[in-house]
Amino acid sequence: MTPSTPLSAAARRRRRQLRRKVGRATALFATLVVTGGLYAAMAPGSAAEDATDSAAVDAGRELYEQSCITCHGANLEGVTDRGPSLIGVGEASVFFQVSTGRMPLARQGEQAYRKPVVFTDDEIDQLMAYIQANGGGPTLPSGDLRDGDLAEGGELFRLNCASCHNFAGRGGALSSGKNAPNLSEASDLQMYAAMLTGPSNMPVFGDNQLTPEQKRAIINYVQTLNESTDPGGLGIGRAGPVPEGVVIWLVGMSVLLMGVFWIGSKG
Amino acid sequence: MSNHRAGTDPDHPAESATGARAVPSVEDLSRMSHRELEQLGLRLDDTEVHVLSEPPPPGSIAEKRAERQVALAFGLATAFAFAFVVVFWGAGWFLPDWEYRIDGPLFGALFTPLLGLTMGGALLFLGVGIVLWIKKLMPHEVAVQQRHDGPSPPVDARTAGSTIMAGFDRTGFTRHKIVRRSLLGAAGALGLLAVMPLGGLIKSPDRRDELFHTSWGEGIRLLRDDGTPIRPSDMQPGSLETVFPAVEGGNRQADAATMLIRLRREQVEDIQPAAGQEDFGYEDYLAFSKICTHAGCPVSLYEQETGRILCPCHQSQFDVTRNASPAFGPAARPLPQLPIEVDEEGYFVARGDYPEPVGPSFWNREKS
Repeated sequence: MTPSTPLSAAARRRRRQLRRKVGRATALFATLVVTGGLYAAMAPGSAAEDATDSAAVDAGRELYEQSCITCHGANLEGVTDRGPSLIGVGEASVFFQVSTGRMPLARQGEQAYRKPVVFTDDEIDQLMAYIQANGGGPTLPSGDLRDGDLAEGGELFRLNCASCHNFAGRGGALSSGKNAPNLSEASDLQMYAAMLTGPSNMPVFGDNQLTPEQKRAIINYVQTLNESTDPGGLGIGRAGPVPEGVVIWLVGMSVLLMGVFWIGSKG
Repeated sequence: MSNHRAGTDPDHPAESATGARAVPSVEDLSRMSHRELEQLGLRLDDTEVHVLSEPPPPGSIAEKRAERQVALAFGLATAFAFAFVVVFWGAGWFLPDWEYRIDGPLFGALFTPLLGLTMGGALLFLGVGIVLWIKKLMPHEVAVQQRHDGPSPPVDARTAGSTIMAGFDRTGFTRHKIVRRSLLGAAGALGLLAVMPLGGLIKSPDRRDELFHTSWGEGIRLLRDDGTPIRPSDMQPGSLETVFPAVEGGNRQADAATMLIRLRREQVEDIQPAAGQEDFGYEDYLAFSKICTHAGCPVSLYEQETGRILCPCHQSQFDVTRNASPAFGPAARPLPQLPIEVDEEGYFVARGDYPEPVGPSFWNREKS
């Protein structure tokens, strides 16, 4: 140990700066190690799962190149006037569009409509894996999607959904030939995916706008409506009190008029 | 039955009319039956009844059959009415634990239709019984009353008019001045009483300024319906949230409802704000009044791809990127835009009230 010699002020400052730099580098390294270790420990999937995942992605790419590439482009970048970019749309969007038969599109038009599904469930999973692997995006939920509060779901449905989808979920007209679809055929998962991704002209309801619990409540409400019978017999498309009144009026008046004519002609 | 064809000889109506004026004495009248008195009245009125068909004779098989049919209809009406009572109250007798539920047992699904069927059946068969009674058990007749030409004889006209005027004179309306004036006063006051309630329907829009301003103001937060504030990171591109001012009862104020819209990325470049409202938005967020400028309906059918807001009442369409100006339909003015910013806590707040009155036009709207 050298005898302590009085260091100049400049030298002391240099040494302090050096010490600080070394300290910072050490802290950064430690943080990186901890983060990486945690990630390795907590990230889903082992090597085997990675293998099946990449197999699914490859299969999905094959399906994509057969059925989707014409409109969405070779690199998912989209083709002008044909189809949008699929980078970042996520598996939820793929699930909604393909499992309702909207994609592959039958023809270019004002909007895509529900039609018979082209792909099997496995193929849909593969397409989802391929799109999810390229840009990520919203993912599908798991578990029971109907465990939400029914009353809250009704409230939220009337506030956020009923203006387009009708208060009984039977859909309605939009501008220029487009429409908001009837919800009676939609599955729980399709409704969830639609809220999450906002297909076509539907606004997006992200998880900070409608929480997953609120989405489940809405799904519970809509499916309860779908499953309930029409009290009083004929539902008349559940189109509301005005059409119901018109039907009652027309049928009732016709019957009354026929009765009047019958009494009058035989009297 | 044989004297049923009563009254006058159709070939000589005038003659028989004078002959029919011969009125029997009081003793004769008191001896006559209902039927005979009816015939007399018809003759005095110069009316002739043609019998088209007689009901089946009393005691005949046809009459018995008709009676049974009518009684069957009334009996069915009675049965349906009792069935209604049984269905309505009966659940308590034979299904004591039953209560109406949407997904309940079969009786629940049948309850309302059964009530309708039983009540409808009761009314229907009551009507059927009455119609059958009239058609099968009553004579069918056509009555013809002679119409006389020209005005009434001068004597009748003058005396009838004088009767009315004499009655009016006898009230003393012209003579009792104080009665007349007080009555006219009361009539006027009652008229005022009838008109007064209409005054409540007429309101000046200038009073209290309520048509010109909403509760929005500088620094008032944008709240969801459940009262939570909103950060710019809460909404995805292409989404809409209906927001209300953070004042007491703000989410129940019809004129304050506002649409907070986050545009899609590619729409941001297309924004064409109105003159003087260039800084009303916040990044890719815009806020517009939810009240249609045509008839005041809530416009919340938002098409996120086309950027159009639809009004469900009369199909007006507003273009969000062009200052929510009308693109189709009867609306003539753009939806008013609410100036927004973010406060130091990171939540959306209004920078002031709407620059113009929200909702449909009214007569002195431009005076603001």
